[in-house]
Formats: sequence, C-alpha cells, structure tokens
Amino acid sequence: MQENNVTTSPNIENLTVSPSPHVKKVHTTKWVMINVCVALLPACIMGVVYFGLLALAIIALSVASAVISEIVFELICKKKFKDILRAFDFSSCVTGLLIAMTIGTNYPLYAPVLGSAFAIIVVKMLFGGTGKNIVNPAIAGRIFMFISFQAVVGVWPAPAIGSIFGLPPTSGATELAGMLGNGALPSLSNWDLLLGTGLAGSIGETCKLALLVGAIYLAVLRIIDLRFPTIFVVTTGLMSVALNGWRFELFLPSILSGGLIIGAFFMATDYVTTPNTKLANYIYFFLLGIITAILRDATKMEVISFAILLMNLTVPLFDKFIIQKPFGKQKTPKKETAKNESK
Amino acid sequence: MANIKKIATDGVITNNPTFRLVLGTCPTLALTTMAMNGIGMGAAVTFVLIFSNVIISLLRKVIPDQVRIPAFVLIIATFVTIVRLLLDKLLPDIYESLGLYLPLIVVNCIILARAESFASKNTVFASALDGLFTGIGFTLALTLMGAFREILGSGAIFGVSLWDFKIEFFSSSAGAFFTYALFIALFSLVMSAVEKRKRAKQSLPLTEVK
Repeated sequence: MQENNVTTSPNIENLTVSPSPHVKKVHTTKWVMINVCVALLPACIMGVVYFGLLALAIIALSVASAVISEIVFELICKKKFKDILRAFDFSSCVTGLLIAMTIGTNYPLYAPVLGSAFAIIVVKMLFGGTGKNIVNPAIAGRIFMFISFQAVVGVWPAPAIGSIFGLPPTSGATELAGMLGNGALPSLSNWDLLLGTGLAGSIGETCKLALLVGAIYLAVLRIIDLRFPTIFVVTTGLMSVALNGWRFELFLPSILSGGLIIGAFFMATDYVTTPNTKLANYIYFFLLGIITAILRDATKMEVISFAILLMNLTVPLFDKFIIQKPFGKQKTPKKETAKNESK
Repeated sequence: MANIKKIATDGVITNNPTFRLVLGTCPTLALTTMAMNGIGMGAAVTFVLIFSNVIISLLRKVIPDQVRIPAFVLIIATFVTIVRLLLDKLLPDIYESLGLYLPLIVVNCIILARAESFASKNTVFASALDGLFTGIGFTLALTLMGAFREILGSGAIFGVSLWDFKIEFFSSSAGAFFTYALFIALFSLVMSAVEKRKRAKQSLPLTEVK
C-alpha cells in the first residue's frame, strides 16, 4: 500500500510536507480574534439600539484608537507597514470593542480613545505584543478609565426602551449598586435584567442575552470552554447569596446585573491570562467568583474588572505550581528517589 | 575647574539620583502629585545633603569605620530636625503637604549614599558641591515629574488651574509608578543618544567602556 502511494500519488503538490506539529485546524490567532469580534457584535448592536448613535460613535472611536495605536507603535519600532498589515491579528479590535462596551454613553468621547490607547500601548505592546501581556488589556483599559474619569463613574444613562413590564427607563446608579448597597431586590424583574430593557448601564453589558448568544457562538466554534465562565458566574452568584445571609432570591439578580456576564465570558477567558491546565483553570475561575463577590460586597461597587485584574496577576503562580502530568509518566517510588538523591 | 564641572554633571545628569541611581523612590512616588511638592521636598533634601556632606567630610578621619553608618545617620538626623523646625515655622503649608516624608529624609538613600560614597572620601569643598548638585538633580527630577502629573492629573501647574481636562489616573499611585517608569525610560533614551553621538564624534566603538 505504502509503496503504491509513493509511486502513484497523482497530485503530490496537494500534500504539505512540514515538520511536526501537524496542525490541520484553522485556529490561528487571527481566526479566533475575528470570531470573538463577531461574537461581540450582537451585544454591540443591542447597545446601539438602546443608547443611540452615540454608542456607535464610542465603539468606532475606541476600536479605531486601539488599531491605530498598535500600528503607530509598531511603526515607531521600525517595522515595515506591509509586515504590520500582514501580521495584523484583530486582537486590538477585540480590545477596542470590549473597552467601548464597558462604558456608558455619558463618558466623554476622548475617554475610550485614551483608554484604548493605554490598553494597547502600555499593557500590550510594551510587554511584547499579542500573547505577551501579563493582564488583559481591555480590563486594564477599563480600569484606567474608571480611575481617570471618576466624575461619570457610577452614573449610567437610561436606555431608549423601557421595562417590558411597564416601568419607565431610569438613569443613575445601576440596579447592582442598589442591591449591593442595601441588599434590596432590584425593582426590575430578572427578564428585564436579562434583556437590559429599562436597565441603566453601559453600552455592551446591558443586554445579557446578546452576550450569551455571542458566548454560545464562541463555544460552538470551540474557542472558549463554557465550563469555566459558568463556574465563575455560579460561584459569584452563590457567594453573593451567602454574603447576604443566604437569600437565594438574590442569586439571579446578582448574576444578571452589572458586568459579570461580559467579564466572565469575554474578558476572563482570554487565552493569555488564564492558566494552562484544566485543574488550574477550575481553581482559577472558582477563586475569581469568590473574589468578585467579596469585592462587590465590600466596596458596594461593580469591581469585577479589578477582580479579574487581580487574578490575572496570579496566573504565573498557577502555571508554576500546577503542572500538566506528562502522558504515561509513572510515579517513582519514594525509596528509589531517596537512593538516587543520596548517590 | 574641571573637577567642579564633573561633579556638577555627575550630580545633575549622569548620576541623577532619581532617574539614574533610582534612589529615594519613596518620596518620589508619593510626593510628585504636585510640582510645588517637588520643589519643597527637593529644597529640603538639598539643604540636608549639603550640610551633612560638609560635616561628614570634616569628620571623615575621626569617625571609625565600624560605626560610620550610625554616625552618618546621627549627623543627617540633626539636619533633618533643623529643616523640620525651620519649615514648620516659615512655610507651614509646605510642611503640611510634605507630612511624614520630611522626617523620613533621615533614612533617604540619596543622602546616605552620597555620605558613604563621596563625602567620606573627599574634601569639604568638593563634598559641599556634590551635595548641592545632587540636590539640584533630585529637585529637578521631582519637579518635572510633579509638573507632568499635575498637568495631566488635575489640569493645573503649581496650583494654578489650566483647564478642566483631567486624567485622574496620573494623580493616583498607579500613575506615579507609570510616570516614574516613563521618565526613567525617556531619560535613558536621551542619555544613550547623547552617548552615541559623543562616541561617534570620537570614533570610539560602542562596546568600549570609558
């Protein structure tokens, strides 16, 4: 058979001859990042529907700023423009999109521009570009804006569409802030929180359903593993319930309000800033949930980005102490190792 | 004369305590939210540096080697106390804003480093000059950083409001680290460019150490 193949192979030019690993899939960084952009689109569209064309302007400015800062930085590093365009992998588009989605339309227009530029230049490019960043650039950019423009933090504009149960749209503090402040149940129903109708919030975080659709799209393409964000979300919900004296009616509202969904499914699952092994990932996302709930309870603010930033920094520790067992490796008996050491 | 010139460029540029030696980082990070703080802190440190350098240089043959560090600290502490009392009386505003960092000058690495590496080995006049120029280098560095952070972080310079545009990140402590790193990077960039040009002029290879 083999000899036949070699001698009579009709179209040898169709064969790819290369050293291992023989990867046949199309999971390149570019492909992954374009699909993440696609997955974020429904939430962006809902954001534009709820908050008008200003939201579109913020999204466009943020993405443009992220892409331009990446290209300018590489030009300063004396790379050729042709090479930059060929190596462009759309990860800065994802960063820009995420940054725009985490802010409200009441932010000044220069905020997303500065935030994206900070995220790309300081957090990503200075550490060596895509795949080298120690924390998620989008998270760092969001925190940069959160610290920098405190005048508008915590005040959110109302969406154009009111609650499906007839309550008028209100601006001001999010439902989450009210719930964390006095432990009161939100005035909106869980369905409203899921759809974002009548809910004051940021451009991309308001419509949770659109985000979940995007997350399922990514899971179907096997870009993200739904198990880990789910662990994160459920742990946060349960921990919030526990911190409020086991009031289980708070479980769904605490999940569905604030930025937990976008944070868990799109920010915490960044390949670069998650541990390498499955076991480490289980622990990592579990701890993320606990820290998020505790920080939310302690500060009475939406601080999920800080929780993710904090845990991002611990990833090297996870990778150091939880190491994948090599395939087929057997434990050496203790006596033998002692002998070997004494030698 | 050449010696004076060397001490001056060493203190202000080539051995700039903040950007080249990375000493005294604690007050640098904490106090540079305003340009005025930089000047106040710089002046206080310069005063202590000059006088402690002079005294240590005078006593350099008397102080036994084994107990030199406690002796230096004692001398430095004396002048820090004098500065504190003077500032409290004459400029109470600056005294307030410097707060805890004023008594902490006692353990400031810059002063101890200059005492250890320069004043205990050199003449009184050279030590006084060294103190003066190192202090000027420190003051300039702190004032520059303070001005940068004040302009971006609170839209003002020396307390005078310029515009409403603020990036409060630069007023926060994270912004302090960021600004510090940025300045060190810029300073090193300029220094290496100057060095390159100098070596090109003398047609020396870049690898050769002076």
